[in-house]
Amino acid sequence: MSETRESAPVNPVFSVRNLWKVFGPKGKANRVPGDEQLTGLSGSELTERTGCTAAVRDVSFDVRKGEVFVVMGLSGSGKSTLVRCLTRLIEPTSGQLEIDGEDVLGMDRTRLRELRRHRAAMVFQNFGLLPHRSVTDNVAYGLEIQGIGKRERRAKAAEMVEKVGLQGLGDRRPGQLSGGQQQRVGLARALAVDPEVLLFDEPFSALDPLIRRDMQEEVIRLHRAEGRTMVFITHDLQEALRLGDRIALMRAGEIVQLGTPEEIVARPADDYVRDFVRDVPRDQVISVRRAMRPAGKADAAGGPALAPDTLVSDAIEAVARSGESCRVVEGGRTIGVVDHDRLLKVVAGIDQDGEGEADKDKEVAAV
Amino acid sequence: MSTPTIPDKGEQRTQDAAALDKTPSGAGPDDGPGPLQRLAANPRALLVLVSLLVVVVSAAVTGSGAWPRGWTLDIETPLNDLDNWLVDNRETSPIFLYFLLHISNFAETSVDAITGLLESMGWLGVTLVGTLIAWAAGGADLSRRALRTGGTALGVFIVCGVLEMWEATMETLALMTAAVFASALLGALLGLAAGLSDRCERLLRPVFDTMQVMPAFAYLLPLLLMFGIGVPSALIATVIYAAPPMARLTSLGLRSADPAALEASTSLGSTPWQRLRTARVPLARRQMMLGLNQAIMMCLSMVVLASLIGSEGLGDEIYQALGSLDIGTALTAGTAVVLIAVLLDRTTSAAGERLDAVATAGTTRLMRRVRAGVWGLVLVLFGVFAAKGSVFSESEWPEAWTVDITRQLDSAVGWFTDHLGSGVPVLGGTVTWAQGFTEYMLNPLRSGLLATPWWALALLVAVVGWIVGTWRAAATGLVCLALVGVMGLWEVSMDTLSQVIGGLLLTVVVGFAFGVLAARVERVDRLLRPVLDTMQTMPQFVYLIPVIALVGLSRSAGIIAAVIYAAPAVIRITAQGLRYVDAAAMEASLSLGATGKQQLLQVQLPLARKSLLVGVNQGVVLVLSMVVIAGLIGGGALGYDVVQGLSKGNLSQGLPAGIAIVCLGIMLDRLTQPASARRRDQ
Repeated sequence: MSETRESAPVNPVFSVRNLWKVFGPKGKANRVPGDEQLTGLSGSELTERTGCTAAVRDVSFDVRKGEVFVVMGLSGSGKSTLVRCLTRLIEPTSGQLEIDGEDVLGMDRTRLRELRRHRAAMVFQNFGLLPHRSVTDNVAYGLEIQGIGKRERRAKAAEMVEKVGLQGLGDRRPGQLSGGQQQRVGLARALAVDPEVLLFDEPFSALDPLIRRDMQEEVIRLHRAEGRTMVFITHDLQEALRLGDRIALMRAGEIVQLGTPEEIVARPADDYVRDFVRDVPRDQVISVRRAMRPAGKADAAGGPALAPDTLVSDAIEAVARSGESCRVVEGGRTIGVVDHDRLLKVVAGIDQDGEGEADKDKEVAAV
Repeated sequence: MSTPTIPDKGEQRTQDAAALDKTPSGAGPDDGPGPLQRLAANPRALLVLVSLLVVVVSAAVTGSGAWPRGWTLDIETPLNDLDNWLVDNRETSPIFLYFLLHISNFAETSVDAITGLLESMGWLGVTLVGTLIAWAAGGADLSRRALRTGGTALGVFIVCGVLEMWEATMETLALMTAAVFASALLGALLGLAAGLSDRCERLLRPVFDTMQVMPAFAYLLPLLLMFGIGVPSALIATVIYAAPPMARLTSLGLRSADPAALEASTSLGSTPWQRLRTARVPLARRQMMLGLNQAIMMCLSMVVLASLIGSEGLGDEIYQALGSLDIGTALTAGTAVVLIAVLLDRTTSAAGERLDAVATAGTTRLMRRVRAGVWGLVLVLFGVFAAKGSVFSESEWPEAWTVDITRQLDSAVGWFTDHLGSGVPVLGGTVTWAQGFTEYMLNPLRSGLLATPWWALALLVAVVGWIVGTWRAAATGLVCLALVGVMGLWEVSMDTLSQVIGGLLLTVVVGFAFGVLAARVERVDRLLRPVLDTMQTMPQFVYLIPVIALVGLSRSAGIIAAVIYAAPAVIRITAQGLRYVDAAAMEASLSLGATGKQQLLQVQLPLARKSLLVGVNQGVVLVLSMVVIAGLIGGGALGYDVVQGLSKGNLSQGLPAGIAIVCLGIMLDRLTQPASARRRDQ
């Protein structure tokens, strides 16, 4: 999952540029993003000066087709507001927002409704199920809103109920299910409308750790099977690293760093991010591509071969087993070598300087 | 109103915490400052004390201090003119011809139609269909709930028939059906408006708040004015009286619907209408059911009371019987009213419980079919009986199956007054007690209030209003007091006020005592609960009957009725307040070795201060509304004026008294409503 996608697709699913969301009295809030004096202020200064709160500040990113894009940050960092801005559940204050090249902010009500009905479906932290409906009818709810007939939507819903592993529970009420099961219903409801993008707003925060792990695996399984684009909001770093193809780390409404899990762990953009990722087991996130030294002529022959995206933890095992350094092979060509020394540096966290120079072009600039 | 509003727990806790913070000095009695110093440290208490002192001293010095005559306005003449104009123009004015007349005609025809329908169904049809409906509302199965509900309905119909109250019961039911339908519809529409639009909520909220403190009595006269004596006045007064709780609870339900579910609905692309229909209204269903239940109970209360302005049925039986002091008939009719109240309450709350159960546990397909079948059967039976009911049975309960118990009741009441009314050794007797209460409590209170100069009373009202609530409460209180004076009703109002205060004192004593008992002794709670439940559903009018049987016509009879009427709410609020005290604080005091008494005095009561105040507030509103109705049974004062105004159609006597009652109500409500509760409302 932590593989860097090499080729950026031409058309991103979501394209977000300079997005702002300022809460507060309307006239005042609208003025904040354009006013250079105000945009420079910190959150508390802004509140003091204008009475407004900037939940999302000048955020830009692309969500590529088929990827799991994780937005991660502590509570109050604006991540939940950001994901709601994507379908205008919360109206952004300013900026550009496109889905498949189509301007979202300019859509009228009908177009927007179409977008919500067919193109992006959301899974909520508190499930948002309707307690008076059975599980099947909850799952079929989105289809009902689209105006699909009872028989057809029931059949589709039953299929989805099965897909998320709730066989035989279709006639139950949400109140009779456990938290994890309820969130499966929420997931099935989102899947039932067959959306282009799935939006997750901290879907598993309310669940206990074991069930959370189950649900994460469920999401990974679904992503592997269908390749659907996902935007995933979380405050849990482990979850972000497990699920994310790319992670946008937010703080006080701004994206502090955007990159693959490996990039974020290996090269934190600032002290805040470094602090954040300090306890992450680095050998389980960083790949040998980053740990290797360029191959000399002498290295071409000897030692076992590893793929570039092999995790350092696996490389350590290979190196320890063979007792010698390993070659990193890509497309039949040896591009580098890892040995005890390089791998230990990764684990110890002293590999930042001078490393990954070769990857510079692949780095996505932090905003 | 019989529906106390209880502050939600979270808010109460923060309140309690604040209350704790504010009184740290009271903790150590030995080394703390003396009482005088403590008073000096608390300017508010000092202020109250000073103004009380002013009141007492000025009362003693001046001896009489009614509102100055020069400051009163003559409102009798314009009111008489208005009355004359109304009488002259009722047939010709366009307002009546094109608007009010249509309403009144529609009300009349619909009630007539329902009465006719019940008549043509015959007693057998009504009993059968009514029982089936109750059973179906309870779930239409063999569960205890369904059987109990159906059984209650069957029993109620039979007893009403046996007691020779069939015709009156049917008239009441017909009026009830129309009133409930109209007030539920009106209430739901207003509730929808208030629940969906903030502007409507801001507009309607104060109106509902005021209507909630208005005694039921005050609604009758304006309607009498517009529609004259008869069924339309009664029906419309009932609808106006009963719609607010439905509207309030509908709005509350819509506003408290799970925001996540609503957002989920939006995120799936629902239109506003879809969202309302599929998510918001179903999520509010529980509250709406509760609102319907309250609306029905208030309808019944008003339908019975509206006999004063010409509604027929059980209320009229009671009214007539009270007028001729025919206690036996009044008791019989009162029993029928209570039974109807029980029937309606059981059926609607059983329906509510069943909805809840289905919502949480789901239902099987078979049960769904059975229920649909039963409702179908109800419809078919309804149709058959409505068309051909006379084939199966008479329209009235058969004469042969009735029992006249009025004579036995009369003699029982006679025996009671003879043996227990007075002359019981040592104890005295009920009539003696009542006289004692009048003599030693009400009379001194009344003469005290009358002796107090108006400005001293105004000062007291302002100070209390400002301390308990805000300056706004103080201002409202003053305006209300001034209005009473300007209308020239100062003396009468003081009479009513003295009754309210006397009643309130008794109610609070009784309510707190039982409340504490119920909160601390599980068995008392279990015993009291069903009694309180029943008492809170009974129409106000019914309370008067046993009281006159016990103590005869007098001012204290009204007050006793008021205490009985108001105490259940106070008991309930007190018990709940004490029981919901922060469990951690209770545990902490227990772990420090506090005795039960210490726990009660030092932890529970201080922490429950807020609910105790709410209890007092409810007590005031309820006592006032009953004290004025007691004008019917010798309560005198403002209530008597209203009754006179109603029964003689004397606008210039009734309307000012009605307005004075409303003024007193608003003033007393504001003076006893803690500031924070109102701030939350705004």
